[in-house]
Amino acid sequence: MDFNKESQILCSWSAQIENRLLQLLWHLIHVTIDLCHFPLRIANVLESYLISWGLLGRYKSFHVTKLRYLAIVVDSEEAYRTSKIIKLLQWLEAIGIKHVCLYDYEGVLKKLKDFILEKLDGTILFWDAHENDVLSDSDQQHMTLEFVSFSDGKEAVVKAANVLFMKYSTSGATDQNQKDKIFTESQMSNTLKTVGSGGPEPDLLLVYGPARCHLGFPAWRIPYTEIVHMGPLKSMNYGSLVKAIYKFTMVQRNYGR
Amino acid sequence: MLSLRFAIPTANTLIPSKNKPKPGLVVQSGWNQTDLLSSLPKRYDYKLQAATADLTDGRASMADKEVELPEGLSRELMPKHVAVIMDGNGRWARQKGLPASAGHEAGVKSLREMVELCGHWGIQVLTVFAFSTENWIRPKVEVDFLLSLFERALKSEMESFQKSGIRISVIGDSSKLPTSLLGLINEVEETTKNNTRLQLIVAVSYSGKYDVVQACRSIAERAKDGQIQLEDINESLIEQELETNCTEYPYPDLLIRTSGELRVSNFLLWQLAYTELFFAQELWPDFGKEEFVEALSSYQQRQRRYGGRHS
Repeated sequence: MDFNKESQILCSWSAQIENRLLQLLWHLIHVTIDLCHFPLRIANVLESYLISWGLLGRYKSFHVTKLRYLAIVVDSEEAYRTSKIIKLLQWLEAIGIKHVCLYDYEGVLKKLKDFILEKLDGTILFWDAHENDVLSDSDQQHMTLEFVSFSDGKEAVVKAANVLFMKYSTSGATDQNQKDKIFTESQMSNTLKTVGSGGPEPDLLLVYGPARCHLGFPAWRIPYTEIVHMGPLKSMNYGSLVKAIYKFTMVQRNYGR
Repeated sequence: MLSLRFAIPTANTLIPSKNKPKPGLVVQSGWNQTDLLSSLPKRYDYKLQAATADLTDGRASMADKEVELPEGLSRELMPKHVAVIMDGNGRWARQKGLPASAGHEAGVKSLREMVELCGHWGIQVLTVFAFSTENWIRPKVEVDFLLSLFERALKSEMESFQKSGIRISVIGDSSKLPTSLLGLINEVEETTKNNTRLQLIVAVSYSGKYDVVQACRSIAERAKDGQIQLEDINESLIEQELETNCTEYPYPDLLIRTSGELRVSNFLLWQLAYTELFFAQELWPDFGKEEFVEALSSYQQRQRRYGGRHS
């Protein structure tokens, strides 16, 4: 019996030692990963500064025309930092971006629209320059701005849906064919324009905020939009902006193929 | 069928219950119970038997065996709903000089692992983007293979889903799916509908725009039948008619997309407004436990700092 008891104790000890060793190995793996990531983070910061100073050749000239429509999402609490917003837009203009859509959930930027336009010489509203949301390829001298908020997202889809419901109920026909003709993706897109919430699909969406989500940007417009989280607006820097746009221009998209 | 990489005995079955296992120890379950039982001192057999007795019951089958989370993860901050765009199978296969079919098979293995991890770590809903409406333009051979792979996987895993307490739901435009697959989907959904451990939602022939449009069609039908008035139609009503109404948690807390692409590709458009987006560099067949832990850690760190900003 003593032998049985001793062997049970030995089993228990060896299991404990095994578990301790596994824990140690786990911690070592984590420390190694952290040590690897730290230099990467430093390298990213350094790269941003080098880009800002124009010391990295490949970022000096790239095909920015590939980026036809850019969206910027800003956390509503930071949207009041108008000097930052204006600086960001000036950078974008300097890079050669022609069309920018500014979004914040609460519509703070919409309210500050006139102030922002005043501060940026020559910048005009997108809808003043384009009757529809077709982006022309002709040279455009001035950057256009579009201001969007949460009301242009889900609320707009509800409005558009109501228009389609009215169309369906007043059509008189109740068969499946009629329903299939009215409730389609293209009909929804057209109706969104009708209710004032159309707009091109952005190629790239930059999120300036603490959370890595698009904060309710009109979802109908971003099925294939590249989304990049840039960090808080207060920490924005030119190098990261250029890098994000450059990376976009290098992307090849298959659209499901 | 949900295989594991390690067979490490749990600490709390080999020592008296008053000694709690240290946090950070990763505990695996589901090893060959016969082997383990035969090696255990007899007085500890009852713990393992009691804990594993519910494996044959589809309801909350693994609830008794609380699995320790990896270092740095908190159970309280675990997302309720995780969505995944499983991208990169084709590229993975090309990199290895294999046919695309091999990539998709490898992708199924990754999915198995993720399902198991979600079940162990308390995630309630896992939605995976298996096949989009845009994927129909792929070569017919590949499309047929993908659909047959899905059918085979459903058939082979049905028993395992039942044992593991996993509920299966399939969303998407079913009009283009083969009849045999449709029948199987109905059978699996019906068989597993009472399972509560984890809900696995598989999006097949799905797109976010299609989801919104079909919700509008459903509402139009209900309005025609007099169930609702047109003036009652609002965001909430549309949300109720989206295909994600099959779950208690329709909005993902975390979306993971693999293969380094930075877009949502028409997936769950309406539902992703406040979802944390995590874009992983790894191709889907290479996305395993470590990578999932990294995504969850990133999510939890952000929740600690900014949780509750958008309720």
